[in-house]
Amino acid sequence: MLGRIGRWIDERAHLSELWQSQMVDYKVPKNLTFPYAFGIMAIVAFVIQIVSGIFLTMYYQPNVHTAFDSANYTIMKEVPFMWLIRHVHAAGANFFLAIVYLHIFTGIYYNAYKKPRELTWIVGWLIYFVLLVTALTGYLLPWGQLSYWGMVVTAEIPTSIDSAPLIGKFKIGETISIWMKGGYEIGQITLGRFFGLHIWLLPLILLLLVSIHLYLVRAAGISSPDGKEIDKKKEGVPFHPYITLKEGAYLMGYLAVFFFFVFFHMSHFLPPDNYDPADPFKTPAHIAPEWYLLAYYTVFRSIPDKFLGFVAFNLILVLLLILPFLDFSPLRSARNRPLFFVMYVVLVISSMALTILGVMPPTPTNAMLGLIFTAGLFAFFLALPVISVLEWGWYKAKGGERR
Amino acid sequence: MIRAVFLTALAVVFFFVIWVYNPFVHKEKYEVPQQYLKMATDVSYAKEGKQLFEQNCQACHSIRYDGVYIASVQANPNLKTLQEKYGKVLPRNVYESVFQSDLIGLKESFGKVPPDLSTMYLVKGPEYLFAFTLEPQKVLPGTSMPAVMAGRPEETAKIVAYLKSVAEPSPEEKNKRTLMGVSVIAYLVVMGILLWLWRGRVLKRMGLH
Repeated sequence: MLGRIGRWIDERAHLSELWQSQMVDYKVPKNLTFPYAFGIMAIVAFVIQIVSGIFLTMYYQPNVHTAFDSANYTIMKEVPFMWLIRHVHAAGANFFLAIVYLHIFTGIYYNAYKKPRELTWIVGWLIYFVLLVTALTGYLLPWGQLSYWGMVVTAEIPTSIDSAPLIGKFKIGETISIWMKGGYEIGQITLGRFFGLHIWLLPLILLLLVSIHLYLVRAAGISSPDGKEIDKKKEGVPFHPYITLKEGAYLMGYLAVFFFFVFFHMSHFLPPDNYDPADPFKTPAHIAPEWYLLAYYTVFRSIPDKFLGFVAFNLILVLLLILPFLDFSPLRSARNRPLFFVMYVVLVISSMALTILGVMPPTPTNAMLGLIFTAGLFAFFLALPVISVLEWGWYKAKGGERR
Repeated sequence: MIRAVFLTALAVVFFFVIWVYNPFVHKEKYEVPQQYLKMATDVSYAKEGKQLFEQNCQACHSIRYDGVYIASVQANPNLKTLQEKYGKVLPRNVYESVFQSDLIGLKESFGKVPPDLSTMYLVKGPEYLFAFTLEPQKVLPGTSMPAVMAGRPEETAKIVAYLKSVAEPSPEEKNKRTLMGVSVIAYLVVMGILLWLWRGRVLKRMGLH
């Protein structure tokens, strides 16, 4: 009976043809390494966020008087199993961003942003940016001390434009800051608009961008770890079952680690200070953004001039966006590029060090270290054109031709 | 291979530092005698702790998530009517506007409304709560909290145990959650291994290994 219904649907929707053409006949390189699984892990993390978020919306109240109680009493104590949903959503946000960062660094390592995949990279960058905004807006909703004061500090950052020499007198920064908050201070209007953005607009934009990203991955094919494009007619393995089962097994491992944190180690994802209700008259001793923003925050903080700091951390985002055009070398993948690999290690260590420095007090030594690692971060991006020119030289000396 | 090991180790150490234990962040430590720390984290003292709370703390502090309000509010007949309408835990804005005069009275004597202690255990932890309640001026100089519990460490520990019982899930609930966590993780690990084994067989049949 079920089989007949299935056939009836298939005759009309042609789903098995779609499966055959998109999953089985779709060929990918055989030597895909473990980091290639970060893509599917990010998709699963996104689905987890959407499903758990829908359930949280049912009990959360976006009102400055009741938001804290709805999160910490109704959700955590009153409704059965909602504690689990909140744990999943809070840990899931951190895991989503962690996986996205790992995915980005994998892409840089294997040079997956090169022709014909520049557009995939750019759409991926947009996903990353929208994701950061989503995380930022969601962080305010529990209305605890960290949520409130984190947002106070974040909303202050655009005002550093106003300390610029010429454009400063137009007060653009202050305008942006007021526009973010919906007034001169963070209150009901801020909470309302952040709630709306966090549950409707930003997830829908993300959904659209992720679809485009996936389409582009399929259109251009998956890159290969050693940088050679495969001839799909002769080599390559079927995506299903070769890759689906391999990455499915990795995915189970990822979920096991994720649920370990959900059940046994929530103290970082639901930090103690945020169980204190927001109080505009009580400034906490240490205010730092969440870890996924700390590297930018340290860059902003270690540069003595406020406006330059603002320009610097935005410049990092822009450099990340135009990465495919900074690196025009004919060689692909860090496996074949020793110079690139060295600079890649500089990039990784600098960004990790900047993140860890972000939670440390801003002593002069730490500010100095911050400046050194900021220089490291920029050195990676600025070295790319130089490395590319050198590698063009080697490539031609070996008899390579411009494709 | 060396590169893969190096980069993997770097990533694992990084996430361990930011998510599990950060050696670069300095945390205040409060010395608490072992016997009292044990009492303060044992929720079987919660019942005694609640009585002690009512005698010593309720004049100023509420624990709204347990339906415990400051003494003057608790004596107010309006409270019962409101609780019939809204449930045991009154919405914060309702509580703060109906009993405004009681709260303003406290604010006038202490400079600010003494905080509600429903989630305080999660914010501060047992060591701080014990040390602070016993000797407020020593832990936080200049605080308006009076040293009501001075010289009564055992009773202080019991009050902290009561705060814990309100803030954290009960021990039975915690056991259930642990069991749930272990079974979810075990399921995922077993499924991962089975998928991997099954993949081996499928690939062998397809001649792709």
